[in-house]
Amino acid sequence: MSTKTGDRSRTISVDGQAETGLSPKTFRLLALGGVGVLTASYISVLQNVTAVVGGTQQLFTLVILMLAGATVLAHTITPRTATLVSIAAGALGFAYYLTATGLGVGVVFSATDKLISDTIALATGLSLLQMMEAGIWTLGFAPGPVFLSWYLVLRGRYTLSVIPGGVALLFLVLTGDAAILPTLLGAMGAIAAVGFGELEHYRGTIMQADILAILFAAMIVLSLSVTLVPGGTSAPTFLVESSHDGTLEGSISSAPDRTTIAGDVDLSPEVRFTVRSDEESYWRTGVYDRFTGDGWVRTGQAEAYSGPIAPPPGETETIRQTVFAEDTLDVMPTASHPVDIEGDIRENTELTTHGQFRPDEPLIEGDVYNVESAVINASVDELSDAGTDYPDSVENRYLQRTEGTSSEFEARTAEITADADTPYEAAVAIERHLRSSKDYSLNVSRPEGNVAEEFLLEMDEGYCVYFATTMTQMLRAEEIPARYVTGYTSGQQVDDNEWVVRGLNAHTWVEVYFPDHGWVAFEPTPSDSRDSVHNERLEEARADGEENVDTDRSEDVPVTETEVEPTESDDPAFDGPDGSETENGTESNVTNGPNSGGPGPDDGIPEQYRPTDPRTGPGFEQNLSTPTDLETEAAENETDDDAPPFAPENAALGIAILIGLAAGAHRTGATRRVGREARLQWHGFQRSPEADTERAYRRLEMLLERRYRSRRPGESMRQYLDSLSRMGYSSDDRIERVGRLYERSTYGNGVSREEADDAVALVDAMAREELPLIGRFWR
Amino acid sequence: MTDANPTQTAAQTKRATTIEPLSIDATAQLCTDVADNVGRVIVGHDAEVEHVVTALLARGHVLLDDVPGVGKTMLARSIAKSVDCTFRRVQFTPDLLPSDITGVNVFNQKTREFEFQPGPVFANIVLGDEINRAPPKTQSAMLEAMEEEQVTVDGTTRALPQPFTVIATQNAIEPDRTYELPFAEVDRFMKKLSLGYPDPAEESEMLARTVGHHPIESLEPVTDIETLRRAREAVTQITVKEPVRDYATRLAGYTRNHARLGVSPRGTIALLRAAQARAILDGREYVIPDDVQYEAPVVMSHRIKTASRSGSDSKSRSRSRAGSNDDRHRDGAAIVSDALEQIPVE
Repeated sequence: MSTKTGDRSRTISVDGQAETGLSPKTFRLLALGGVGVLTASYISVLQNVTAVVGGTQQLFTLVILMLAGATVLAHTITPRTATLVSIAAGALGFAYYLTATGLGVGVVFSATDKLISDTIALATGLSLLQMMEAGIWTLGFAPGPVFLSWYLVLRGRYTLSVIPGGVALLFLVLTGDAAILPTLLGAMGAIAAVGFGELEHYRGTIMQADILAILFAAMIVLSLSVTLVPGGTSAPTFLVESSHDGTLEGSISSAPDRTTIAGDVDLSPEVRFTVRSDEESYWRTGVYDRFTGDGWVRTGQAEAYSGPIAPPPGETETIRQTVFAEDTLDVMPTASHPVDIEGDIRENTELTTHGQFRPDEPLIEGDVYNVESAVINASVDELSDAGTDYPDSVENRYLQRTEGTSSEFEARTAEITADADTPYEAAVAIERHLRSSKDYSLNVSRPEGNVAEEFLLEMDEGYCVYFATTMTQMLRAEEIPARYVTGYTSGQQVDDNEWVVRGLNAHTWVEVYFPDHGWVAFEPTPSDSRDSVHNERLEEARADGEENVDTDRSEDVPVTETEVEPTESDDPAFDGPDGSETENGTESNVTNGPNSGGPGPDDGIPEQYRPTDPRTGPGFEQNLSTPTDLETEAAENETDDDAPPFAPENAALGIAILIGLAAGAHRTGATRRVGREARLQWHGFQRSPEADTERAYRRLEMLLERRYRSRRPGESMRQYLDSLSRMGYSSDDRIERVGRLYERSTYGNGVSREEADDAVALVDAMAREELPLIGRFWR
Repeated sequence: MTDANPTQTAAQTKRATTIEPLSIDATAQLCTDVADNVGRVIVGHDAEVEHVVTALLARGHVLLDDVPGVGKTMLARSIAKSVDCTFRRVQFTPDLLPSDITGVNVFNQKTREFEFQPGPVFANIVLGDEINRAPPKTQSAMLEAMEEEQVTVDGTTRALPQPFTVIATQNAIEPDRTYELPFAEVDRFMKKLSLGYPDPAEESEMLARTVGHHPIESLEPVTDIETLRRAREAVTQITVKEPVRDYATRLAGYTRNHARLGVSPRGTIALLRAAQARAILDGREYVIPDDVQYEAPVVMSHRIKTASRSGSDSKSRSRSRAGSNDDRHRDGAAIVSDALEQIPVE
């Protein structure tokens, strides 16, 4: 039965075409195209996810299968069946996802609350990329809407067909994964499908389609100017994004769920916090596991802290720190790996899935907390002997690389680690390679594409974000679990056990997993130039008298002291540079790389340049302009605005706007009015006296038409002018004269050049008087 | 036959000579003079007087159609008397014969030859009074005279004097005692005018003038035949440019599409000639659409035949369908009015 319905509707549309000469078929194709665009929009969002976590090919295969299936079944199953099929497909996908995450389908019944809360979390901005099994989730999510919407549109149910796609897109918008551009395109596709579908049903004409064009233009302009779509900061990017542009510290100081690698960054010399600690250490603030090609994402959700954390499995040394916030902090810097926290703010502490504390609301100046950390205390030998027996949970999570990593990157990595027999040696080799072959600079322009690849293969210099990102990805290419860590270097040592940490101490480094020991820090960033850059910045800030640059204890202490580097060399990490991986440092156990002796390269390095803006002042680096700190920031910020000016999407939007404007102008008659105005005001090039005179008269008619009324068809020029003068039109000799000249030119024996010019000049003068502004001067 | 008829000879001679056209201004002045002169007799009706004067200049004939007693004949006589030229009057009656108009060959006992006795048509201005009282046979005599400006009697063709203008009157009442003029003859009249009753003030003025001596008795010519010829020549020199010709054509085309019989090409020619005379009256050396518009109602209306009683005619029905259904019930004047309103002036 349904088949018949479909056939009938098609027959009708064919008839309509024959009758009206327009083509409903064209509208049908446009409507199909609209649904296609809508589908493509959310599939592209999903593809962004799979490009990071893998599964793009499966996703596309699945989508094509669904489209083919819908096409085949379009006229053989009823809408009800199709809906059930879609729901079944969705349910199967979800079940598969639950199984893949190890929860099992049973969780639906056993932990309904949790699932609901997770769903709400997703719908309120938790990015898909933060899901542990994002790839599988997308594969489960895609088929239902694709199948159902394509099935419905093929049956001519245009309005219904945009519902599944629209819901899917809406969901992705809510998770923050759908950028403005795909959202906009998807919404336009939906409107096109409904609009053109209606035009087909009612056999509209192409003229009526201009309303759609206007609608599209309005949508684009509105959505680009008013960012109602969440996350629409300025460019189409992800919702959850740190807003600190231009500062290294930006992401570090707040450790958002997601950071993006930036280009140029600045350093802030302001003091962020002071630490009293048994040992010097790098102060870790955030850990990231998922690399997107241009940034890092932390998967999983933080949960309220509820008691001591198990320390790393190997031998550890406990150090206690007391941290005094000197500024507003979004993070809780600790030596890795924190195991417990004390203080008033314990209640407000969350624990990420990577074992990092963070406050559920920003700390303010004066907040104090005590942290107990378990620092890994392992020797080089122990690490070398650690083997590769990684737990599944570590392998699943910390070996992720973006799809399409070039073979060149892998080859180069393999070449660098060719002599390494153990993961530890490979890590040291990579670390040493980066420290020796690349220079430190805060002035880099962010490369297009995969940052790690670009940095390893193309770039000569960068800052810590580039070093750490690249090293992490190289390690993963060698099947060594690694993760990207943000935080601060130890800072300026002002007393035996007290360090002052400034914005410019922000830093990123790498943690590598060793079985039986846990996560060990490595420092791929060369420290020398970095230190000097940072010190210069601090001196400069002090010289300028900037505020918040020092605490009362730090100003007298030479900045340079802080750098403790040598010590660190013990750490494996540090060995690198020397080439002697061995011994020096051996004794010192490598704890967290940074800790052990002081953070490697970075520590101490205070600021480097960056133009401080007074504004940045106190606060957070988050302020846009704050240039700040350490290199870290650079890392984070978003990239977005780098969108190339001539991207095809932008061009398409621009064209859509233009078409809409043209349609609107056409509909409102603006083009005609402008054309008339132009013809009225501009006489054109000189021609024969007769032609000029006639043209002058036509312009006069236009002028009079505007002032009074138009000449009726059967009305002669004289009757028209007479009638106007009877209407109380103050008789203007010029009008009379132009009329006579026209009459003689057209019906009589012609006019001379002078007379024609006279007519033109008279009309010019009258036309100018009509102009709103200029007219006043003209008179 | 060798003894040439003086009239004929004169006509041939004049035709051969090129006539020096009068200047525009002089022609306009002449029109004004004649009109003023006529105005001494005819009270009011200025527009109609002007129409007759321009028809005279445009080599056209005029048909005055109205009820008796409104001054038709008086108007024609006044015009004729204002120009110093030959004027004959023919009173049409049902028993009038063609030869009574054209003239006859009479056997001269003295010379033993037939002599041609010119009829009243051999005059510069001929007043055909109550022309529709004569039967079609008699009307036929008028056809050749009006169009060809010549008459043929017993196989001999004789030219009429120049200028030659017929001013005819016809009675709009008494349809049972009149004949309907053949359409071909009606078409030969450049203009058909209707005087109508004077308004009270004019009628009072007229009474004041006529209670004593009738002013027609003392009317003096204000111009002569030679000047009239030159004035006519001046009218032919008036420029009619393409936009105006085109406009006239479109007007005629409109009537053809909206009536059973529209304006003939002869009518279009008459229209432009009348417009030329109108232009010269205005002192202009070229015709503008306004001239055409002014003349169109009197020149075109009587040439349009709307679907009449012969409604059963299939042709008429199909025509009606092509135009608007209302056309069938409208007269020529209404159609001309529509045409003027709807045909755009370029």
